[in-house]
Amino acid sequence: MENNGNSTSVLVIGAGIAGIESSLLLANSGAKVYLVEKASYFGGNVIKWEEVFPNMECATCMIAPKQQELLQNENIKLLMLSQVEAVQGSVGDFTAKVKKKARYVDLENCIGCNECFEPCPVEVDNEFEERLSKRKAIYVPCAGALPNVPVIDTDNCLRFKGEDCQLCQEACMFEAIDYTQQDEELELKVGAIVVATGFKTFDLTQTPQYGYKKLNNVYSIVEVERICASNGPTEGQIVLQNGEAPKSVAIIHCIGREEKGYCSSVCCMASIKQAHFLKNKLPEIKVSQLYSDLCIPGRIYQRFYEEVKGSGVDFIRATVNEVTQQGAGLAIKYKTEDGKGNTLNVDMLILAPAIEPETDSSKLAEILAIPQDEHGFFSEKEPDLDSVDTSREGIFIAGCAQSPKDVPDTVAEAEATVGRILSLSR
Amino acid sequence: MAKKIGVYVCECGNNVADNVDIDRVIKALSPLRDVAVVEKYRLLCSEDGKEFLKQSIIDHELTHLVVAACSPKQHEHTFMSVCVAASLNPYLFQMANIREQCAWVTQDKEEATDKAIRQIAAAIARVAYNEALEKKDIDVYPDVLIIGGGIAGIKATHVLASPDRKVYLVEKNSSLGGKVKGFDKLFTKMESGSALIEKELKNLREDENIEVFTESEVEQILGFFGNFEVKVVKKATNEELNFNVGAVVLATGFDLMDPKGLPQYGYGKLDDVYTSLEFEEMNVPGGPTGGKILLKNGNPPKSVAIVHCVGREDKGYCSKVCCMYSLKSARMLKAQLPAVKVSQLYSDLCIPGKAYQKFHEETKDLGVEFIRAEKTNVTQNSKGMTVKYESETGSKGDLAVDMVILVPAMEPSSDTNKFAEMLSIPIDNEGFLAQEHQKLAPVASSVEGVFVVGCAQGPKNISESIVQSEAAAGKILSALVPGRKLELEVKTSEISETFCTGCKTCISVCPYSAISFDDFREISVVNEALCHGCGVCAAACPSGAASVKNFAFTQIYQEVEALLK
Repeated sequence: MENNGNSTSVLVIGAGIAGIESSLLLANSGAKVYLVEKASYFGGNVIKWEEVFPNMECATCMIAPKQQELLQNENIKLLMLSQVEAVQGSVGDFTAKVKKKARYVDLENCIGCNECFEPCPVEVDNEFEERLSKRKAIYVPCAGALPNVPVIDTDNCLRFKGEDCQLCQEACMFEAIDYTQQDEELELKVGAIVVATGFKTFDLTQTPQYGYKKLNNVYSIVEVERICASNGPTEGQIVLQNGEAPKSVAIIHCIGREEKGYCSSVCCMASIKQAHFLKNKLPEIKVSQLYSDLCIPGRIYQRFYEEVKGSGVDFIRATVNEVTQQGAGLAIKYKTEDGKGNTLNVDMLILAPAIEPETDSSKLAEILAIPQDEHGFFSEKEPDLDSVDTSREGIFIAGCAQSPKDVPDTVAEAEATVGRILSLSR
Repeated sequence: MAKKIGVYVCECGNNVADNVDIDRVIKALSPLRDVAVVEKYRLLCSEDGKEFLKQSIIDHELTHLVVAACSPKQHEHTFMSVCVAASLNPYLFQMANIREQCAWVTQDKEEATDKAIRQIAAAIARVAYNEALEKKDIDVYPDVLIIGGGIAGIKATHVLASPDRKVYLVEKNSSLGGKVKGFDKLFTKMESGSALIEKELKNLREDENIEVFTESEVEQILGFFGNFEVKVVKKATNEELNFNVGAVVLATGFDLMDPKGLPQYGYGKLDDVYTSLEFEEMNVPGGPTGGKILLKNGNPPKSVAIVHCVGREDKGYCSKVCCMYSLKSARMLKAQLPAVKVSQLYSDLCIPGKAYQKFHEETKDLGVEFIRAEKTNVTQNSKGMTVKYESETGSKGDLAVDMVILVPAMEPSSDTNKFAEMLSIPIDNEGFLAQEHQKLAPVASSVEGVFVVGCAQGPKNISESIVQSEAAAGKILSALVPGRKLELEVKTSEISETFCTGCKTCISVCPYSAISFDDFREISVVNEALCHGCGVCAAACPSGAASVKNFAFTQIYQEVEALLK
């Protein structure tokens, strides 16, 4: 590959913060980038968060300028609703087959006015909002999602189920809705590949002792992120299922750590952040953190922890045995390290689940012929030394696809893939 | 030449048209000063719309353009391109956002129409004072200076060097390899650190695009991204070397906090209390003990306590890697002395990521004891050493041991302040070189073209340091392409020679160190290559001498006045 910026083309898989950063840097060097994203929007997990630790910046505002820059960059082709189906060749000369599903809404003609949602008669759970709210069969996942162009969910759209409905098309003033759009098969020639497929969280129903999906007001940390979000299902109002604000909340750390066999790196900080958020919104609220070891590595995080602790958040080193319903609230039975048993009564419980590789990682590992480790994360070529190279030359990994990590480490890895790719010519 | 301002109102389908009476808008704006034409169009961002706009600029011989439509975030770029296509300077164009800021949020149509008129009138008043600006670019040096020859510096050098890019690696010590060279084993694979360094150095030696200066100090760095002038002095010969580079990577590493300041641990007073680095030295085959773990009396220890988090409270941060290398130390002890009793005194185990817990569990299985201890105290009497500890719940205990290994906090290396000052990079609260943005720009500093990698910007492990080196390389390779010019920010600050009183306020507030003082003329001068156009100087300047191009006081004043009229 040449370093002069014109002949390099790169396939980036996953348009979260890692994929965005890689793509922008590569494109600015003059390389052509195909950024493949399976969702109908881009921005990954970060755009689900209201604020990010430790400076409590608005996550959407933080990432939006990068997203806009990406949408306007002529060297980047963003392929949404797309998945890599096959990859052949070797470094400098890969051929990737990408399947791009039809959006049924024209990206050029649509201006994002949202007039098409209203008339749609279908209502289903909104997955982006952790099923805490409803959406239509033509929708954008949340206000502010980019690109601001809806997608038709053909599994639920009446027209695609054979009925003669065209209410959304009638509502569109720009002839942007096109039911005849077809799925496309693309063949891309690229010199290198960046895998930045991110993470999902541990399935909390596997640990029934905490009452998730069985007891009222037990949430995952991801759900609470959406509840805290000003563009989320409650518009940022923290409420119990009865509509009242909680007076006491417990956050249990490390759910699934034992099952997974590793520490997910960022959950302590995320839990402390949520405590900060709760205290800010509801100053009288009592927040307790139930944790075993506090993992707040690096020079920046301890200050934030101390600030939150100083605001009256309880930190209890404990092992939780069981959560039960107690009247309208929840009773958490726990044991401290000296073996003493105790019970904490709260209105709301937040569980911090382990971080896992994204759902399709094994399939993608097979397509790319790169190894995964025992936990399903993509393996780096030289563990402990270099985390962005895979054992297949020309294929690189960045972010949580490799191991749980925070945003700055993810961004650094994304930038590192660019360093590696642009120096491949030697 | 008379101004001819063209005003184009986008109906945005029905998005604006439904809630704003556009005909009334046109009627209200047409008589305004210098307005040559006011027209509406159904969708200006469409291909037809852009063509219409382009033709209108040409046909009406417009000198300035106002588009009243959506957010500039969405289509400013689009309409600037139309200006360029119509041979109108794109900076003589202004957008009024009458969709997001008006039609979509103001319910009453009459009110929305009044508001839109004011917004567009403000844009007209402002655009009349806009300056035609030109994009500037500068030639760049693709070469790079790396300061610090540890693992981070070595890796950065290796990734960056190529036939069209020379890399200068400067190390103050007599040999490369930094701290890693002195580690007999690295977690988790327990491979040799010195072997790793040797392998990396072989790569460097074979690369003729790399120039290494050991026992050398960087004395001066002047200039800006794309063109830094560097002065290096070889300490042994006092030889001075001068060269130019486009970017600088600081990889100056870390030191351990000196535990002598914490008397409770007995370091420096008791015989067999060591720091973790001293213990590392003991394990190196060519080291002072020939690789043998020995007490001062020449015997191997029977019991060892490893005390975590020494100095953490004083520093106010977690040093991230100490838990892991303490586990490693335990393994090294167990490997050499299978019968040795090893106790880890820790408060929180910090072993983040997918790979470390397994290492912890394996270490525990070797019989290594883990004791949760908040406060620790080391004493010695005729019978030997005792480590007294107290847990956070108040329970107390003590351990009789032969050897204590202290695990002190990591702190920035002694050179950090020198380079912070030389390059005008801020130091953060913890004493490390600050990042441009904690989340989104982990290796960039606030000075463009200067990058900070590895432990110079916070404690981290080897793989994180290497990733950061590659990240800096990625940023540099992306921006400093040989043969390509670097585009500068267009809307930069300018300081009026006439009005500047030489108070230097602007210099003190500029986050990019873009303003310097001309001692002869006694005024502040902006370096356009460094200025990002943030406007902090313009806000701070007490005499009104500093202003940002196309954000001049006149423009803002005219805009606000028209809004409030």
